[in-house]
Amino acid sequence: MTRHLLKLVWNRKRSNALMILEICVSFLVVFVVVTMGLFLLDNYRIPLGFEWKHVWNVRIGMGRNEASAGDAAAQQATLTRLFQEVRSLEPVEAAAGSFVVPFEQGGWEGTYKVQGRNVEMGVDRATVDFDKVLGLRLVSGRWFEEPDAAQSWEPVVIDQDLARTVYGTADPVGKALFDPNPGERPFRVVGVVRDFRKGGELLPNGNFLFRFSSLDHPEGQSFRNLLIRVRPGTPAAFEETLVKRMQGVAPDWSFEVQPLPQVRATAFRFFLTPLIVAGTVAFFLLLMVGLGLIGVLWQNLLQRTREIGLRRAAGASRASVHRQVLLEQIVLTSLGVLLGTLLVIQVPILHLIGVLSDKVFTAGLLVAMAAMYLLSVLCALYPSSLAARVQPAEALRYE
Amino acid sequence: MIHLQQVSKLYRTDRVETTALDNINLEIGKGEFVSVMGPSGCGKSTLLNLMGLLDEPSSGRVALDGKAIDRYGDRALSRVRNERIGFIFQQFHLVPDLSVADNVEIPLLYRRMSNRERRKAALAALDRVGLGSRTHHFPTQLSGGQQQRVAIARAIVGRPNILLADEPTGNLDSQMGDEIMGILEDLNQKEGTTIVMVTHDPRMADKTHRVVRLFDGRQVQ
Repeated sequence: MTRHLLKLVWNRKRSNALMILEICVSFLVVFVVVTMGLFLLDNYRIPLGFEWKHVWNVRIGMGRNEASAGDAAAQQATLTRLFQEVRSLEPVEAAAGSFVVPFEQGGWEGTYKVQGRNVEMGVDRATVDFDKVLGLRLVSGRWFEEPDAAQSWEPVVIDQDLARTVYGTADPVGKALFDPNPGERPFRVVGVVRDFRKGGELLPNGNFLFRFSSLDHPEGQSFRNLLIRVRPGTPAAFEETLVKRMQGVAPDWSFEVQPLPQVRATAFRFFLTPLIVAGTVAFFLLLMVGLGLIGVLWQNLLQRTREIGLRRAAGASRASVHRQVLLEQIVLTSLGVLLGTLLVIQVPILHLIGVLSDKVFTAGLLVAMAAMYLLSVLCALYPSSLAARVQPAEALRYE
Repeated sequence: MIHLQQVSKLYRTDRVETTALDNINLEIGKGEFVSVMGPSGCGKSTLLNLMGLLDEPSSGRVALDGKAIDRYGDRALSRVRNERIGFIFQQFHLVPDLSVADNVEIPLLYRRMSNRERRKAALAALDRVGLGSRTHHFPTQLSGGQQQRVAIARAIVGRPNILLADEPTGNLDSQMGDEIMGILEDLNQKEGTTIVMVTHDPRMADKTHRVVRLFDGRQVQ
């Protein structure tokens, strides 16, 4: 029967072409949406590498002094006093300066040369105690210490991903990192932390490099964010106290407080909103395609009423007719899905989307296939049951 | 072999009730070649549909080899149609998207057999009607007479012992009609196939063993 159906569908390829194309396009849309969703879900399951609860970010605006290089000493003194003031507050467990803020879009991306090849990575400049504020877990070596600022080399902490990329399985601590540019201090690894995913749970893991930012070193005062770990249960009202105390130290500067959970929620909205929109569009598209398929199938079966009558006269039971219509639809769906798959597999073959893992790609493909088969079978159920119910004598008379 | 006892068939719509067959009593014996005649609309095709288990009588009893078929379920009826009855229609009812051989294979699709056995049987049936060289043609590439031969091959491919032919020569010229009639006579004489044929053509009816005449749904001869 399968061979017979394949011949039948193949010989009707012209009249079936539109339906196959419709299934193919729907398959592609479902694949894109499902793969997007699975990509985010897969990322979400990987450990984040830091703790964001009970962490607040204070964005520092240095006002008129911000652009003035001449006031570097005054700026350094103000920052030092700010740190002292913040750390003296009872609800504050730890405070550290950082150039970038976890979960925020954008940031600092760098490409460094390692043994002649370019390695891309996210970069941050952070002060001492940054590891305490974000609960970073060291797997080797240590975090920055103030005396590091006086070294002839620049201390760096890297995450496991970057360690694997550069050193493979060897321990990176104490080793030089990158090929230094003339006149620059060479980088030396002082510690390795667990994979640090600055972009948050929904972005893929990547290489990450921490450079040291010291309050005692003008070069290192490039941070504009003060990250504070507060004690659990600290009320939101503390924000006012915090700003007031900081304003007391630097009246000309501005301070904007935002808890990391809020920044994280914004990041989630940024990534999930397009997915929800695409998912909604895909849902309505599938609904339209489904209704269209029911209509086209119904119409096709009406045109084939006499053929159905003939098959019934030749010994087909109602169940056989029902099964035949469903199988024909499955064959058509297979052709549409095959066409779509041929297009979709160009993505890994041509390396069009580098961040997509084979696992996510395959899962997206399988889910999209399953969705199309399910849709097709559901749409064929009603027309096929109508076809199966027709009386053979009536079907043979049908004009 | 086929026994119709007080069979009536009514077609009801919201307003009208039409009697297609009225109290028919008919016995068709094994190996008989019977023609059914009568004016258009007298119930000939309805009678054939009832004999072929394609329709159910409104009242009365249809029996095949002494077994009443009114208690058969859809699956059992389908099996009887598949194994014991072959149909030939005036309009041929060939599937235009299938080749001649694939059309002939249709009844065998509903039996447990391999593709090779199926194809072998189809080619044998096509040889039997003189179309062994046209197996890969499509119905639209054939003349009316050739299409009807394909329909006959399809009807006999499963080796049924009953053939029901609804005006098999109605759409053909006299020469082609004679050829088709020749095949049917041959099947009846050489293989003992029981044939019931609806026809308007007295010349064709004269070649059969017996003529059943209907008028306004009633059997008049």
